[in-house]
Amino acid sequence: MLTFTLRRLSLFLFTMLVLTLISFSLSFLFPGDTVINHSGQINATATELAQLNEAYQMDKSIFTQYGAYLTHILNGDLGQSMASQSPISNEVLELLPATIELSLVALLIAMLVGIPLGFIAAINHNKASDNAILSFAMLGYSIPVFWLGLLAILFFSIGLGWLPSAGKISLLFEIEFVTGIQFIDILLSESPYKWQAFSNASSHIILPACVIALAPATIFIRLSRAAMIEVLAASYIRAAKAKGLSFQQIIFRHAIRNALIQIIRHVGLQFANLVTLAMVTEVIFSWPGIGRWLIESISQRDYTAIQSGLLVLSCFIFIVHILTDFIYAALNPLARGNHHGS
Amino acid sequence: MNLLDIRNLSIELDTPNGRVLAVDKVSLSIKEGEFRGLVGESGSGKSLLAQAIIGVLNDKWHVHADRFHWRGIDLLRLTIDERRALLCRDIAMIFQEPMSCLDPTTLIGEQLSEAIDSSQLSGHFWQRKKQRKEAVVKLLHKVGIKKHSQCINSYPHQLTEAICQRVMIAIALAGRPILLIADEPTAAMESTNQGQIFRLLANLNQLKNMSILLISHDLENLTHWTSTITVMYSGQFVEAGSTEQIFNKPMHPYTRALVDSSTKANLQLPTKSRLMTLPGSIPILQHLPIGCRLGPRCPRAQQTCVEAPKVSNFHGHKVSCHFPLIRETAKKHSVKHEVVKGTI
Repeated sequence: MLTFTLRRLSLFLFTMLVLTLISFSLSFLFPGDTVINHSGQINATATELAQLNEAYQMDKSIFTQYGAYLTHILNGDLGQSMASQSPISNEVLELLPATIELSLVALLIAMLVGIPLGFIAAINHNKASDNAILSFAMLGYSIPVFWLGLLAILFFSIGLGWLPSAGKISLLFEIEFVTGIQFIDILLSESPYKWQAFSNASSHIILPACVIALAPATIFIRLSRAAMIEVLAASYIRAAKAKGLSFQQIIFRHAIRNALIQIIRHVGLQFANLVTLAMVTEVIFSWPGIGRWLIESISQRDYTAIQSGLLVLSCFIFIVHILTDFIYAALNPLARGNHHGS
Repeated sequence: MNLLDIRNLSIELDTPNGRVLAVDKVSLSIKEGEFRGLVGESGSGKSLLAQAIIGVLNDKWHVHADRFHWRGIDLLRLTIDERRALLCRDIAMIFQEPMSCLDPTTLIGEQLSEAIDSSQLSGHFWQRKKQRKEAVVKLLHKVGIKKHSQCINSYPHQLTEAICQRVMIAIALAGRPILLIADEPTAAMESTNQGQIFRLLANLNQLKNMSILLISHDLENLTHWTSTITVMYSGQFVEAGSTEQIFNKPMHPYTRALVDSSTKANLQLPTKSRLMTLPGSIPILQHLPIGCRLGPRCPRAQQTCVEAPKVSNFHGHKVSCHFPLIRETAKKHSVKHEVVKGTI
């Protein structure tokens, strides 16, 4: 298990190095002066510029420049936003937790809905319920997320008035910023209206999370259906049947764990897709997350913010990847051994 | 009384080109305490027949039978679930390829303990866990695994194929079956282990009066252990009788060839000469011959062989052939000579 962990950590390290290399090279590719793209100080005076050149070592070779850039990032200095002239790291720390919260809730919904539905479809293979679930999956996968978001607002917020259409929580509640993840902050706060705030925040997150979850849920349906059909045809299921186990025992003791192993691997891959959907959805539902901030920076040509935003988001996605790898290893005894080349 | 009595069992497979008759009207009966061997080349439908008996074939396969009795109960009148519930209690099966028949993500101990029926345990519910564990250890010792604690706490991929096979046998014995179907139980083992497993099966047969259906392609090895033998070829019934009848006085040309192809029968052969075998190989499912499926390879085949022969019974020695080797059995040497001439 230790070698497994070390392996993942070294993979993380090298991937992060490549990511910083890409974001470093973006400063050269974006229009404008490289050092201004690095730091985001568009209104710098001549003396400040000289200082910046010194700090980023722009007169030295490109390798030294990269080293200087890396030191800046490791010190938590991602530069200033060109649009707002405030440090990007502060903005990221404020906005990223909201995106993490939204995407994790969406992932949870997608898994909780998609995987059992896929299992049900596989167990009733080639029957009416299988076909119904498959056609639902096809439909859900084909609907574009921005259109679905608008429809959901139109129907549930404006038409029926059940759920709020924008924001993280009603402005009436004052929640102190501790971790940035709304639900944890609410539970930590001393406010007497804690539980009202909690239910209000929940009603705010339902609509955007469900909109994001739809497409990944349909993918999970198909993945889990295929995995379950494969597992149910395996010879150890046949042997378990001959052992005299009932159908439920076979499903719950043997089939589900083996099918889940095959699905968990794909969860990490689907998460990147899910974050992309979350970015679009954040714009529609005015969710104060990093996705909306990134899309705004793109429209404002805020190069420093784009660069750092990409770095932070991809880092987050990669961490989720590694976490799913650990869950996979915990579930699958075959992956824990010292296999080379994996 | 017959424990298991099957008449004219057919198994059909759904393929894109229509249904194929994989097993064609095979009859099989097993008495209480009988040690029966089921022999045939690979691909002759032995495993298929065994899986059809225990009822674990998937939807692609269709099984029909004229009679299917288990201890006097007509199984054809029961629904599939009732049948499986009845059979899984009394019949256990040892599958081929033990590695793929054990759940890769569950510990061996867990897989073994779930095969133990809770009716075998006597204590209260808080004593059950301990009793279960003791029963698991006992089963492992019975099949010759000495390091039980190590085995219980490992996953199938951490064990060798031979130990996995022993675990499979232990799982099969856990239900204390009346009939044990062993589908090539020693395929992955070296000969010393093979002997141990066969001795274990023979012991169970003699001491516990457990009936055993042993499936194998190795006729010579089988004759040491079994009392009766059924021979199959390409999904058709060939011959059935006591081991002596089959081995010493085979009536069907196929059984004759099977006996002659064993190394013991070939001992007198001069060096570097060809072994006695039938020409050709077993037909594939898509191109089965009509009538007697041995026809194209049979040295005694004639025009009538395009129709499937009826089973004829000679004092309990059943054979399905139009031209059985009856009269010649007295003059064994001349028959052998004749067959050899036919094969070359």
